[in-house]
Amino acid sequence: MAYGTSFAALADPTRRSVMESLRSGPRAVGEIARGMPVSRPAVSQHLKVLKEAGLVTDRAEGTRRVYYLDPKGLAALRSWLDQFWNQALADFQREAEKSFEGEKSK
Amino acid sequence: MTKPFAIAPVRKTLVVNVPQSHAFEVFTSRLDSWWPKGHGIGKTPVKQSFIEPHKGGRWYTTHEDGSAVTVGHMLTWEPPHRIVFSWEIGADWKPDPTVASEVEITFVAESAHTTRVQLEHRNFEALGEVGGERMRGSVDGGWPGLLELYKKKAEALG
Repeated sequence: MAYGTSFAALADPTRRSVMESLRSGPRAVGEIARGMPVSRPAVSQHLKVLKEAGLVTDRAEGTRRVYYLDPKGLAALRSWLDQFWNQALADFQREAEKSFEGEKSK
Repeated sequence: MTKPFAIAPVRKTLVVNVPQSHAFEVFTSRLDSWWPKGHGIGKTPVKQSFIEPHKGGRWYTTHEDGSAVTVGHMLTWEPPHRIVFSWEIGADWKPDPTVASEVEITFVAESAHTTRVQLEHRNFEALGEVGGERMRGSVDGGWPGLLELYKKKAEALG
């Protein structure tokens, strides 16, 4: 899962609200839409984007379809930050040690 | 059945061959000397990066187009041992003051000239929570509610 897709999908505040509403467990489109200031078709569209980004997934439950969070998508975001900090801290270490040597020899 | 919406914190540890006070100073006051220029969140490359050295101080970057971007605020300021700051970057990697994950950096003196630096970036769930709060905020009349939440959080962490 490319982190870029997750980032782009989560950039939209309504989609973040959809994610939030799924925290308590799987829900159908109508249940998600009930708590939101947007229409049910709009929620369906947002769910489609979130599904494509790997952030939510769905399954049939009797006659209805329920959506739930897919932790893999957010794990991709996390692993991107993991690399981000690796590079930043490597640069920090290099500079801290270099500047300390420099000041000691003055 | 219910899947918790939880993401493990990012944790890093490294040992730097400098005294604790030097490690702290380079990380904070001399941020600009090491923070990767490519790690900016503005529209143009980072020119300089700063941490204002006090509780409530900003971490911000200036950019080649003259703009400045706030990355976060110092929630805890305990030189030379520890800082905790908010990381106000949305999932889209754009600055967003309503989104705050949190970073803690701890500087532990292992000896007179070696320091263990520990990083924990946590509360990624805030991305989801804030989405919810934002929705509630828009019903309640917006910003005051959110700022109150932020203040409470800031005070609790202080």
